[in-house]
Amino acid sequence: MIDIKKTYKNYVHGKYVRSESGKTYTKELKNEVYELPLTSKKDIRDAVTSSKDGYKKWSSTTPYLRMQILYRLSEMIEGNKESYVELLMDHGLTKQKAIKDIDESIQNIVWFAGLADKWEQLAGNLNPVSEEYFNISHQNPIGVIFSLSGSDVSLNELLMSILPSLTVGCSVISYSEENSVLALKFAEDINNSDFPSGSLNILTGKFENILNDVSKHVEINLVALHKELGNDGLKAIEQNASESVKRIVSKPSIEGLSSILPYLETKTVWHPKGT
Amino acid sequence: MIDWQYSESIESPEIVSIKKKYSNYIGGKFVEPKSKKYINTISPSTEELLSKVPLSNEQDINSAVKAGKEGLEVWSKLTPNQRSRYLFKIARLIQERSREFAVLESIDGGKPIKESRDFDLPQVAANFFYFAGWADKLDLSWATKSLKPYGVVGQIIPWNFPLLMLAWKIAPALATGNAVVLKPAETTPLTALLFAEICEQAGLPPGVVNIVTGDGSTGSLIVNHKDINKIAFTGSTQVGKLIQKSLAGRDVGLTLELGGKAANIVYEDAAIDQAVEGVVNGIFFNQGHVCCAGSRLLLQESIHDQFVKKLEKRMQSLRVGNPLDKNTDIGAINSKEQLDKITGLVNEGVEDGGELFQTQCELPGNGFWFRPTLFTNVQPSYSIAREEIFGPVLTTLTFRTPEEAVEIANNTEYGLSAGVWTEKGSKILWTADRLDAGVVWANTFNKFDPSSPFGGYKESGFGREGGRHGLLSYLKASS
Repeated sequence: MIDIKKTYKNYVHGKYVRSESGKTYTKELKNEVYELPLTSKKDIRDAVTSSKDGYKKWSSTTPYLRMQILYRLSEMIEGNKESYVELLMDHGLTKQKAIKDIDESIQNIVWFAGLADKWEQLAGNLNPVSEEYFNISHQNPIGVIFSLSGSDVSLNELLMSILPSLTVGCSVISYSEENSVLALKFAEDINNSDFPSGSLNILTGKFENILNDVSKHVEINLVALHKELGNDGLKAIEQNASESVKRIVSKPSIEGLSSILPYLETKTVWHPKGT
Repeated sequence: MIDWQYSESIESPEIVSIKKKYSNYIGGKFVEPKSKKYINTISPSTEELLSKVPLSNEQDINSAVKAGKEGLEVWSKLTPNQRSRYLFKIARLIQERSREFAVLESIDGGKPIKESRDFDLPQVAANFFYFAGWADKLDLSWATKSLKPYGVVGQIIPWNFPLLMLAWKIAPALATGNAVVLKPAETTPLTALLFAEICEQAGLPPGVVNIVTGDGSTGSLIVNHKDINKIAFTGSTQVGKLIQKSLAGRDVGLTLELGGKAANIVYEDAAIDQAVEGVVNGIFFNQGHVCCAGSRLLLQESIHDQFVKKLEKRMQSLRVGNPLDKNTDIGAINSKEQLDKITGLVNEGVEDGGELFQTQCELPGNGFWFRPTLFTNVQPSYSIAREEIFGPVLTTLTFRTPEEAVEIANNTEYGLSAGVWTEKGSKILWTADRLDAGVVWANTFNKFDPSSPFGGYKESGFGREGGRHGLLSYLKASS
């Protein structure tokens, strides 16, 4: 019997798609060799169009429902635990490390699921102004996030580059180089968890190919780099970003409340009190 | 019949003694610039030369940053409670010398004494008081220990609220344990240099606050200095972008508070007379030199004619003239350069087809002045409806539905502030939720408080000043 091998594709707007360029790159694992989509400029533009729509839907989903969808993601991963462990071992991880990675991933999803309907209470507040005004600062998600995942092969690391911004209602374009097979497998669980299409798009390829397109795209509101880039790379991104005052975060904190802060815009509303 | 002749009421400038020449304040001492060069600062209401201040060069900035590093050493070793006490002390000293600062602010910047005395100075003191109390409670502010001060912060501030912008920058920076090198605007350096005396009076350790004057070239030297850990800038979007570009690839923090083109939305069910007052305050406060000014009036079609009529009548009663006259509503335009910019954009608005209304008032012979101006019959594509004018010029657009109002309001690269006027609570909340703006004033406009975060969405910059959120602009999250 001949084995059936899975074809991995980008995950855009709830669909599995090849790069429009038709180009792929090879990822060689211990037991398997994959041809993965080499994302092009046009693919990025399509993903942004999808993410804008995804942002509208996801940010207007109630926190209560966002929590349940995130929790469902943990259920999906729990159910597919063995296949994740197998894939991580095919990347060279020991079984013990692979299991630990998946356990930590599930733990973090559950943590962020529970944060979905609480972060506004932690990050916003009434302001005690000195006149007769009601004054409140609350948060809006910043919009469309492009997130470059880290270079370690780890589902947990991939998740920590996605969850903080996704939890607060941003839509995310997650881009992986080293983590690519894992990321595209993860897309299947996203697809099974009731996320609105476009809320999370998952792409793979060589970041240097699309670095300029991403940092110049005015409809990407923030670029999060979870990977150390060469100084020239970061410089080019930040120079491009300055043309539209785009937010760039490099190696952001993934700890507790500070993990979500870069993805929030604070809005302060005043209203007089009186009779 | 009673004769309603106007009689002026001039605040005495005697309280202020302006030196012929000023020095930088570096490492707790007033030092002459190594550049040996100076720039003139004039009174925009008389065009008289007031004084000369240093045009600081690279050597001067090197000394200031070096002093900042030394100051930081001392400052970071103090207990949070001691840092808090210094800020409280500064706040008190400002209150005590408040009138002196207010008069100097009006002389150097051209704003009415009514505003510098009743708005700027009370707010300056309030900001130091507010942040004084945070200095020893940072561990409670964001429930995380991973937040640390940046170190030496470079702060570049504009000319519209010279001392207040200094307070917005220095108070939170010191409260969070940073040291600062601050450059006031080229046209309004005097109150910042007087503030240096307050630091001295308060016994602030040398180097914790350094004040250097100069022009854009001096600002650029601060931004590009290798030992600066963070830049905080308030000014135009154009310069903000240049700063962001200069910092590309460097591990330097940045917050930007940039331009705006705020929509002030008036629904047909608003309290019209209150709204007229609010719209006037929204655009003519501080000669319209306000980044969050309500410069785009969005009127629901059904009330357009009635509203414009009332607005024109109210505008006619605005008194333009001597900033030191306590009756003055609108003072001098800050500089010739700014006056030219406003004039240019207004001329463009007329050529584009906007209908111009200007109040009929006498303007003083010398100095820089501009009449309160209203444009009606404006299309959203006109420059006057898109570009930040930063002057007493209001443009009017109309809308039919709330959805359309929000669409027009958000149709700009800016996102600093917005106003909403309606007596219907649900409509306020619906509108406020949909506006891309860092501050939304509902049934009010241009209100400020040190506890209330201020800052923009989109190209109006990033980071907040004021409130608990303002602390984050000076604390670095380390993972």
